[in-house]
Amino acid sequence: MNIAPNLQAPLTQLLLSIADDKLLLGARNSDWTGLGPILEEDIAFSHLAQDEIAHAQALYELAGELTGQKADDIAMGRPAHEFRSAAIVEVPDEFDWATALARKLFCDHFDVLRLERMANSEWKPLRDLAKRMAAEERVHVEHTDSWVIRLGRGTPQSRQRMQSAIDALAPLATTLFEPYDGLKLLVDAKIYPGSDFPMYDQWLQQITGVLDQAGLHATINVGEPDDKGGRRGVHTEHLKPLLDEMCEVYRIEPGAAW
Amino acid sequence: MPTRDDILNALREVPDPEMPISIVDLGLIEAVRVHDGDGVEVQMLPTFIGCPALDMIAGDVKAKVGAIAGVSSVDVRWVFDPPWTVDRISRAGRESLRAHGVTVPDRGSRLPVAGHIIGAEGEPLVQLKTSAVPCPYCGSRSTTLESPFGPTRCRTIYYCEKCRNSFEHLKRV
Repeated sequence: MNIAPNLQAPLTQLLLSIADDKLLLGARNSDWTGLGPILEEDIAFSHLAQDEIAHAQALYELAGELTGQKADDIAMGRPAHEFRSAAIVEVPDEFDWATALARKLFCDHFDVLRLERMANSEWKPLRDLAKRMAAEERVHVEHTDSWVIRLGRGTPQSRQRMQSAIDALAPLATTLFEPYDGLKLLVDAKIYPGSDFPMYDQWLQQITGVLDQAGLHATINVGEPDDKGGRRGVHTEHLKPLLDEMCEVYRIEPGAAW
Repeated sequence: MPTRDDILNALREVPDPEMPISIVDLGLIEAVRVHDGDGVEVQMLPTFIGCPALDMIAGDVKAKVGAIAGVSSVDVRWVFDPPWTVDRISRAGRESLRAHGVTVPDRGSRLPVAGHIIGAEGEPLVQLKTSAVPCPYCGSRSTTLESPFGPTRCRTIYYCEKCRNSFEHLKRV
């Protein structure tokens, strides 16, 4: 299936929004390498970071086939306003373990639902890749859910910290659902089949189910997502410092092999 | 002129760089074709997206198949259709991994779900999960998932309560 000219830009936006979320989440996860609260979780977060960054790379390669760019250049060579990430992946976790998990709770469930939609895409390269990624991402969801439940039902301190982290991040959770130009075209062309509204309900139901089991709760604005503009290139003040750190080596000599 | 069997036999000698199993037993090979009598195309399925071992495997395949008499070129292609799953690992492959302390999810089994978490008010540590994965050393099913993330992206870590050994279990994908 060839991509019609009017779909090229929206499709690139879709691929970038997913890849950018994954790249930044991967970068945030990798902060825990060497600093995890227990050895297993130190390994787990390093591993999660590898998964997310590998997924981002594959998606940048796909986007690069549309734009004629290399994956590394897309990932590292863009200024902040060309990123299409959601605000929730940009904010730092300040090395608070509960915050890292709360973020993953919102993002991982969203990611699986988004990948499952793409796994039905009429565009085969996206469909094949999404099927494979969804299988890997389901393991992330299992991991996150079991920790949120474990901490929610643990000690008064673990419950209180988990709840505070969820309270702090919940207002940003719906930034994942922010729409962008041309999204409807992709849905109509069945490149990104399905609709955001049942997906939003499913997501909310899943999150609420986990939080119920954990004895925790989240206040999420139901209805129209609060548009902070991440998908349009309007970002939090946290993105630029994150990119400055992540792209430091690349910027010294773009295109160098290492 | 190389036959498909010659090529498969050569591929059986290419090991996974991180586990004691050949890439054929691992289920990586999706298709082998001979073009124009001497050009070989090998289509392989990546286990995990972006796995750092993929480049090494592709290099080993090129070297091994390229050494077969009558082969002029080897083209290695990674494809995602069908997606690789642990169900593609052969019986012999499963046996070889088990002998080295790595178990493989049963064919058709599902990802274990976090349904066994029991915890009451004040209990300091709730067991993450219990499982029915048998220990490769003693066969006991009294094993627990220590971490769904192990030394490589395809492996998880389990602990056997009976013989008190840790062992690895491939991730259910």
